[in-house]
Amino acid sequence: MTETRKLLERQGAWQKGRAALTWPEKIHMAEAVREWAAQLSRARSPMTAAVSASRRPGIGEVTTREAKKDN
Amino acid sequence: MLSGMKEVAELLNAMRDAGVIREYALFGAIAQMRYTEPVATLDAEVLVAAPSPQTLELLKPIYEFCAARGHGPEGEAIRVGAWPVQFVPVFSPLTQEALEEAETADFEGIPLRVVRADHLAVIALSVGRAKDFARILGLLESSSMSREQVARLAARHGLADAWTRFETRFLND
Repeated sequence: MTETRKLLERQGAWQKGRAALTWPEKIHMAEAVREWAAQLSRARSPMTAAVSASRRPGIGEVTTREAKKDN
Repeated sequence: MLSGMKEVAELLNAMRDAGVIREYALFGAIAQMRYTEPVATLDAEVLVAAPSPQTLELLKPIYEFCAARGHGPEGEAIRVGAWPVQFVPVFSPLTQEALEEAETADFEGIPLRVVRADHLAVIALSVGRAKDFARILGLLESSSMSREQVARLAARHGLADAWTRFETRFLND
């Protein structure tokens, strides 16, 4: 068995171990994820702009700069 | 201060005690987490039954009861503390049975009714989206129910073929 496979098995077992938490503990985890998602959503506008600015254009997409140049 | 779900539990119990609903039970991802690893979810889903068969309008009194306690609507849900709560009137013999046979769990000292694992699985089977199939697999992996249990329940609710297709696709090598 390779080291990587052993690592993956340990990680899988660790993740499955979360099933043994109590129901309230698991719900508190879900609440923390919800709060994180809400924060992300609140910060979405500036983040979207930042992500868009750093993103390479996809195939066939025209960047704003190129569009201006064409016009 | 109450935690998010504790506040939901107290509200649901108060709603039943006041006769606004006859009974309730959590289902969906929140209920699933009682049996499996935690999963990400953005809302809490609650099955509810009307106080009498003559009740035509169930959601209106629920919304009024919540509004009187300061919980306002948010989209198709009602915001209760941290959670948008979606109230779903029982809509089939399967969901009716899931509600009647739900278990009462202890949520940090507060009783909270929750749908059983096998009913969750068969409700998921009846809905049939990818995330519903993932829920069934998670419940099976947790050993909170057996394949035979699900097969029997699915057959009783006219879902034997759907269960066979699910087994063929995901469980049979």
